[in-house]
Amino acid sequence: MINVLFFGPVAERTGARQIVLNFREGLRWQDVRDTLRARHPEAFKIVSIVAVNGQRVGEQDTVPLADGAEIVFMSAFSGG
Amino acid sequence: MNDAVRLQLEDFSLDVEVGAMRARSKRIGGIAAFLGCARDFSGEHEVCEIAFDAYHNMALAELSSLRDEAIAQFGLIDACIVHRLGIVHAGENIVLIVTGAEHRSPAFDACRWLIDELKARAPIWKKEITPQGESWVTPHP
Repeated sequence: MINVLFFGPVAERTGARQIVLNFREGLRWQDVRDTLRARHPEAFKIVSIVAVNGQRVGEQDTVPLADGAEIVFMSAFSGG
Repeated sequence: MNDAVRLQLEDFSLDVEVGAMRARSKRIGGIAAFLGCARDFSGEHEVCEIAFDAYHNMALAELSSLRDEAIAQFGLIDACIVHRLGIVHAGENIVLIVTGAEHRSPAFDACRWLIDELKARAPIWKKEITPQGESWVTPHP
């Protein structure tokens, strides 16, 4: 199981705060992004920050996900 | 005693947080504070309230890291960061940063650094609610 979370403007565009995907060996966060971007193109237009298990990741991070991983696709922050 | 780093729905008190800091250390010679408030006007629009959303676990961890970094970098004795979530009405408090040091200069510098870094690094988003509708705020310096 891969737990995908959305907050703020991205959640509004996906219409969901959480999506659960099936786990498979070798799955990378980029694969999850590609799958969900096809479903929610408008939401992913504003995604600029990604976190896996609470840590920011970049395109260079290609370590396969573990079963139970939490991925968050986020837009630029605007707190404060 | 309140935690030094908090995300909370309820309002907070500048006096209470400063008082708590003073009670924790009598070595502090200078305290600086930044209090961010909800404006009732933004751009060309009246703003009734602001809705805050956050990736709570990561935001709290990031604010704790910021506090640790500020204490190390500026030689602070203490620091406190409180940010509200949920609905904040115009005129109410949003965020409070309090920094305590032996002298004023590091307290001022750290306070400015902390609010700038919070805006860049804490996964928090705000939506302005106006009589004309709602819109997520685009980050600005």
